[in-house]
Amino acid sequence: MTPRAAAGVLRARLYAQRRVAYYACAAALLVGLLAPAGPAGPVFFGSLLGIILALAQSPGLHPHLDRCEQSAPLFGRELARAKALVPCVAAALATTVYVLAQAFRGGTDVPFVFVVAVAAVVTSTLVALSATIRRGFARALYVLLACATSAAAFAIAITGRSLLGELGFCAVVAFLALRQYGETLARYDPI
Amino acid sequence: MPLLRMRDATFANGDAAAGPVALTLAAGERVALCYSSPREAGIVALLAAGIVKASSGSVLIDEYDPRVQSVHCKRIAAFVPHEPFPLDEAEFARYVEYRAALWNLDLATARADAERLRARLEGMHEALAYPLIGALLAKPRLVVLDRPQPVYAPQILAAVEDCAVLSTHTDAAAARAFE
Repeated sequence: MTPRAAAGVLRARLYAQRRVAYYACAAALLVGLLAPAGPAGPVFFGSLLGIILALAQSPGLHPHLDRCEQSAPLFGRELARAKALVPCVAAALATTVYVLAQAFRGGTDVPFVFVVAVAAVVTSTLVALSATIRRGFARALYVLLACATSAAAFAIAITGRSLLGELGFCAVVAFLALRQYGETLARYDPI
Repeated sequence: MPLLRMRDATFANGDAAAGPVALTLAAGERVALCYSSPREAGIVALLAAGIVKASSGSVLIDEYDPRVQSVHCKRIAAFVPHEPFPLDEAEFARYVEYRAALWNLDLATARADAERLRARLEGMHEALAYPLIGALLAKPRLVVLDRPQPVYAPQILAAVEDCAVLSTHTDAAAARAFE
């Protein structure tokens, strides 16, 4: 896949979902200004926003984009990477806004909190993407798995006091989640 | 060598079913298929464009099997959906850029082709013309039309020029307009 195709999908989907992305950033700003300081807020609220943004990629919400992508000469894994960029970028942006709002209020350890939060948010967003092409129980299970991923990343980084451990955990889970999403997308029949 | 060959191609997944379809379509030929249900017509169009894989039987697009060589198939076949696109003038320019990026087309050429096709489809409702223009930008050899509007048949057939055309319909009179 060319970077141009990935950028094309990112631009088109972010434009189509610009309201959701704006609302996510606005909510992150508001909660970041009001919630108690610390890493729990950006990790869990950011993950919640990431899951919502991932579910916004579900087929049928933007049928003209879905049809173009399904008929484009791209492999499933290539399309998965391009589509995964969209909620990850939007969720990372919302998390950045949250952390900046905390920093504005005088929060401490801002770089540490930022790294912990972005890693957890991006990973849970990637896990939640697999829910978009499933229905019923399987869909709910992937959403729960995304929440559990976020909780596990938080536990490793904060309770276990291991930033490297959290980053390693997130890298492995994100890789597997993206691979799983790509394989499912390649077999997916859009009917 | 046929451009599209469907040998007893069927699709079945839950309550969605279509086929069996058997046909051979050579370059430049046209075929219009009529079905009793819109759903079946839509599924057959997706099967012919290589977007949906046959559950049994086979579909070959220029001898490529969509089950294993879907990227090759999608470079040959273009799919025009039945649903109109809710795009305005400004969004159409974005749509052309998006299609050019996905098919890795030269942007200036894609824009020029889009304008040329727009002029050729003069009088056709934009919401129906835009998906057809988008599909033709990559210069496909096979165009699959899912339940096109028969009232626009002359413009559509003029726009696709010498491409092979497969169209699906739910009305025999509409199918005749595309034969």
